[in-house]
Amino acid sequence: MMGSGSLLDLRSVSHFFGSRLIFKGVSCVLDPASIMLVAGPNGAGKSTLLKIMAGLLAPRAGSVRRGVPDRSMAFMGHQTFVYPALSALGNLEFWNSVYGRGLDDAGLLGLLDRVGLKGFALEAAGTFSRGMAQRLSLARVLLVEPELLFLDEPSTGLDTASQALLHNELEAARARGAGVVWISHDLERDLGRADTVLQLSGRAMAYFGPAGEFSREAL
Amino acid sequence: MISSTLAIARKDLRLAFAGGQGPVQAVLLGLLLVFIFSLSAAPGERFSPQQAMAIFWLCSSFAVVLIFSLLFRFEEENDTATALLLSPLPVQGLWLGKTLAGLVLLLLCQVFFFPAALVFLGLDPGGNPGGLALMVLGVDLGLCVLGGLIGAMGHGQGAKDALLTIIVFPLQVPLLLGGIRIGVGLMQGVPLAALGDWFGLVLAFDAVFSGAALFLFPHVFRGE
Amino acid sequence: MFRIYPKMLMFLAAATMLLMAVGQYAIWVYAPEEMTMGLVQKIFYFHLPLAWWSFVAFFGVCAASVLVLWTGKEKWDVLAGVLAEVGVLFSGLALVTGSIWGRAAWNTWWTWDPRLSTTLVMWFVYAGYLVLRAADAGGAKGARMRAVLGIVAFVDVPLVFLSARLWRSIHPAVLASRSGGLEPEMWTTVWINVVAWGALFAAVVLARYHGAGFARRVEAALVRIQEKTLQ
Repeated sequence: MMGSGSLLDLRSVSHFFGSRLIFKGVSCVLDPASIMLVAGPNGAGKSTLLKIMAGLLAPRAGSVRRGVPDRSMAFMGHQTFVYPALSALGNLEFWNSVYGRGLDDAGLLGLLDRVGLKGFALEAAGTFSRGMAQRLSLARVLLVEPELLFLDEPSTGLDTASQALLHNELEAARARGAGVVWISHDLERDLGRADTVLQLSGRAMAYFGPAGEFSREAL
Repeated sequence: MISSTLAIARKDLRLAFAGGQGPVQAVLLGLLLVFIFSLSAAPGERFSPQQAMAIFWLCSSFAVVLIFSLLFRFEEENDTATALLLSPLPVQGLWLGKTLAGLVLLLLCQVFFFPAALVFLGLDPGGNPGGLALMVLGVDLGLCVLGGLIGAMGHGQGAKDALLTIIVFPLQVPLLLGGIRIGVGLMQGVPLAALGDWFGLVLAFDAVFSGAALFLFPHVFRGE
Repeated sequence: MFRIYPKMLMFLAAATMLLMAVGQYAIWVYAPEEMTMGLVQKIFYFHLPLAWWSFVAFFGVCAASVLVLWTGKEKWDVLAGVLAEVGVLFSGLALVTGSIWGRAAWNTWWTWDPRLSTTLVMWFVYAGYLVLRAADAGGAKGARMRAVLGIVAFVDVPLVFLSARLWRSIHPAVLASRSGGLEPEMWTTVWINVVAWGALFAAVVLARYHGAGFARRVEAALVRIQEKTLQ
């Protein structure tokens, strides 16, 4: 299970804010072509754990190893990461050059088409509803074609069609060998899509293992 | 790194001019300062070249603070700062991109400050425009290198970024002295070679703070 | 966490009292009165140690700031703040004593001297640094920001000094040599006082460090108590 082919490998990770313990002893592995669901009550530190996994935060103790370079990593969370004063296309153009993807305008418009924003390509993203901004955020994820994808409750504010779109992209990402770490509030709905589950509870890791053996009563 | 640095600078300039704003706030404040200082001379009385240069650089110094406050505010809405930290862009590239964008905006402001100083302060540009341009570029670079580093500290601090000015202004002192002294020298027809010491000082400031910023910026702009 | 050094503080406080007493004796009794300036010259024995130790303090802020970035330990952040406080106090007193000296020696309260101007600019920089420290809520990020400011401020010192010196070289200087003809007894007095003020400097820094350390400990204890009651 600890094979060098894993996308993500956490060993005994602990984190504090000041002197306040958030969680301790988190160890887990993410294999290619798999989806890991992160569960736990509010304030259990799920978002913090995701930030540590993505390298935004350094853990106070333990080690994190990522098997992919930064340019193959994408993150989608509560925040849309959208520049309101730029057009939808302008936003994508910027990330296109930062990630060195080399797509032309036709390619970028194709991405906007996939998330249903083609008709709004030249409109300032600041005028978008939350759902539309999240779809633009999804287009950014599609642009990166990540091998490692972090999702922090991305379906908040998405309509049914957009959620279906997101779930399709998750399946597609897994099918091409990418790994996904996914924080979801709707376990009922999303457990079936996951391969593994990591549960945070009582300032520690309460469960990490196959999704099939995870009992919901533990929550 | 160069292409993504340029992407940052291009994006920031587009954002700055979106909605037709640009560095309008900085330009207006500078023009206002020039006008107010012009009141300190009696009618018909001329400002000395040193006074006029000092006022010109004071305006530029205020403009830099406003410009970098604007440039880093762009990364606050929707937490794009986090998106940049997650991207493959080296964080020093972000500093360099912001510094470049700031330099362009500052030069643009000075396009307004300079004629204002001519009109209101009786500034006499002298006969060495090339030397003057070189000096302005050298001093501006230092102002922006420092602005890019300190400006990032104001990021996400709310009202506290106004406090940073009390430490930025005294740090700029060597640059401002250099800008004033070289400017006055050039206007009075002193040859460029005779101002070598001052150019050396300005370049030393640019180099020292560029080095410091490359080393320190990753500590300022990070995900915590 | 924070270690405290009560015995060292006692020793430094006792040494300060003794050295200061000896220093004052040297100033007022042992050292001869200067011929041209008279009694006012004795300000020099206060001015010089204050100026020296303030620059040591500012260097210390920079060194402690580097250690903050390197080790991430809170104690270095606390030490940097304490050193900046004492540095601002000492350089402020050095400026005031220097100004009084200038009034007596050169008949002006303020003149463009590279050392004076550098001290004034540094006083502004570190006073600003202290205001920012006081305004900050703290946390790991705040400590890093303060450390970066502490380093940048010190990097600026040689540039400020060079520019102040160049600036003066065009303006004719008001003064020539500063303290040219000191007699041997005067030098002895200077050194005794440098050491005495050094002991006071160390004692004040250590006492303030203890105070700041205790404050952080109390905060941490309060957080722990709150956590216990929440559970």
